[in-house]
Amino acid sequence: MKLRTVMSASVAAAALTVAGAASAETMRIGITQNNVGVDSYQTTYEQAFIAAAEANPDVEVVVLDAGGDVARQIAQMEDLIQQDVDAIIIWPTNGEAVIPAVRKASQADIPVIVTNSNIAEQGFDFVASFSGPDNITQGARSAEIMCDRFKELGIEDEAQIVQISGQPGYTTAIERAQGFEERLPEVCPNVTLVETQPGDWNREKSQQVMEAFLVKYDDIDGVYAGDDNMGVGALNAANAAGRTEGITFVGATNFAVGYEAMERGEYWGSIYQSPVDDAEAALQTAIDVLSGEDVPFLNYFDTPKITQDNMTEFTKPVF
Amino acid sequence: MATMTKKDIGGFLARQGILVAFALFIIGFTIANPKFLTPDNILSVVRSSAILGVMALGVTFVVISGNLDLSVGSMMSFSTIVVLDLHDTLGPTMAIPAMFAMTLALGALIGFLVGYLKLNSLIVTLGMLSAIHGLTLTYSGGKNMDIDDKSGTWLSVFGQGQIAGIPVPILIFLALAALLGIVLAKTPFGRKVYAVGGNGVAATFSGIRRARTVFLCYLMSAACVATAGLIQASRSMGSQNTVGQGMELEVLAAVILGGASLLGGSGTIFKTVIGVLILGFIQNGLLLMGLQFYAQFVVTWVIIILAVWLDIAAKRGRLWSPIA
Repeated sequence: MKLRTVMSASVAAAALTVAGAASAETMRIGITQNNVGVDSYQTTYEQAFIAAAEANPDVEVVVLDAGGDVARQIAQMEDLIQQDVDAIIIWPTNGEAVIPAVRKASQADIPVIVTNSNIAEQGFDFVASFSGPDNITQGARSAEIMCDRFKELGIEDEAQIVQISGQPGYTTAIERAQGFEERLPEVCPNVTLVETQPGDWNREKSQQVMEAFLVKYDDIDGVYAGDDNMGVGALNAANAAGRTEGITFVGATNFAVGYEAMERGEYWGSIYQSPVDDAEAALQTAIDVLSGEDVPFLNYFDTPKITQDNMTEFTKPVF
Repeated sequence: MATMTKKDIGGFLARQGILVAFALFIIGFTIANPKFLTPDNILSVVRSSAILGVMALGVTFVVISGNLDLSVGSMMSFSTIVVLDLHDTLGPTMAIPAMFAMTLALGALIGFLVGYLKLNSLIVTLGMLSAIHGLTLTYSGGKNMDIDDKSGTWLSVFGQGQIAGIPVPILIFLALAALLGIVLAKTPFGRKVYAVGGNGVAATFSGIRRARTVFLCYLMSAACVATAGLIQASRSMGSQNTVGQGMELEVLAAVILGGASLLGGSGTIFKTVIGVLILGFIQNGLLLMGLQFYAQFVVTWVIIILAVWLDIAAKRGRLWSPIA
């Protein structure tokens, strides 16, 4: 068994990083990530995960990356089951398609921890715990940031806002929009959300959407973007049209560009979500599950509000 | 003119079916939202389309020569990331030529593989689509690339500048379209491109060096992509690694919509420009109508098929033409 582990590990050597030292009580935890390198969040996540594992002498990790490919992720799940790791952490490439592989792991008595974005509900039975941000709460908090700002400006009874959401069909995009749209009428019942269009997590696409909004609506008081990357795209469009003044920009997942725009006073607020917290929470959840501790099924880590008022309490994001 | 016969109209439609389709969409969208046809909106659509448009100009050459280029999206991401990164280390004066040199080297590699090793262009450029994406990610380490001092550099002129109220990206697009339009229609090189794509064997017997012509087409495509990357970088002064992802298909759609044949040998720069504008105005028009966005994917497709059908039907002189 030992030899087989070593062999299969060396076969996949290009994709593998093995950290930590083997010993009798060592927990062997495998992780298959979504797509490292596609953006800075995922790159930082991987670095933080490996660092956290190296810092813990009781943990040995097998780090894999699916490169955004569902088929490869399913194969990696099977590899990890073959290697008989103690627990598997998965960052799903697709919330539906990975369920059979997750079920297989669960049937092999290997607890599965889902990280960052959850799988679809029909797979919940096979999952030990989900560790990640609460996107609905993030959306709700963005609504509160927006509303509080309108109250400061005294326009909470007439403000009109537009929303630029993430890629259609993605859970994160849907949940943030849902959280925002549900919370806004509770805190600011007279603010109107006049239109929502997707920016596909893409700054350039978001800029085009905002250009169209600026043509279509003469009065825009606020823009809610599903992440700061898109928020900055919208800000660029408003800057080009000379209409930044008087528009409150609120995003989510504070990026370095968003943080800088806040420093310049052009961008109002966002949600601070650290990939380091995300990675450490995932590893800790796996350790807690293996140690037999009582872990909630939805094990959220906190993602606080950040605005121009309190931004000095936060370090500038590295991504 | 009152005696313009049915035949004259038919002839006009046959030559300019895509223009008629274009005019119909413009009228339709304007009725749906009068703001569609305001100067501000038109400028903003053409400016947004300029990046896609510049890329489509180069791909037009490749398609007419009878080949495909699916690597332009990844290559545009590459150019954008490289020029942004080099800007902060070398300064804009050196970063721009360095980026052009690197992008042209990629184009030369593709041209060599397709032209001189006679490998299938679909396979080569499909492979390059992911290879160049990987190259970009390796180069950047996956991080977003941003210029440090966004207000203190003249790099912004290509994407954000204006001359006489007209945004610079539009001017670059139109100038390149005019230049490449002349190259394609009026120079010996342009005629060679048509000959190679239209009838390769005949081209060889006419003494045309096909490999070199194909090689040059890919080099032109890479030069256009580098220009597009420069506009992109200058417009947002920062970028994700995936900025051009998926654009290869939009570019191809624009070229085909303009009436270029995927089999090679036909197409013009002017019609590609119309194809680009149709795509740009559809996207913008649907946004202004406020159509629910899941429906937009469907409607965009329906409009493209409608345009292609109108164009083909006009050329054939009949609407109904089953495969027989």
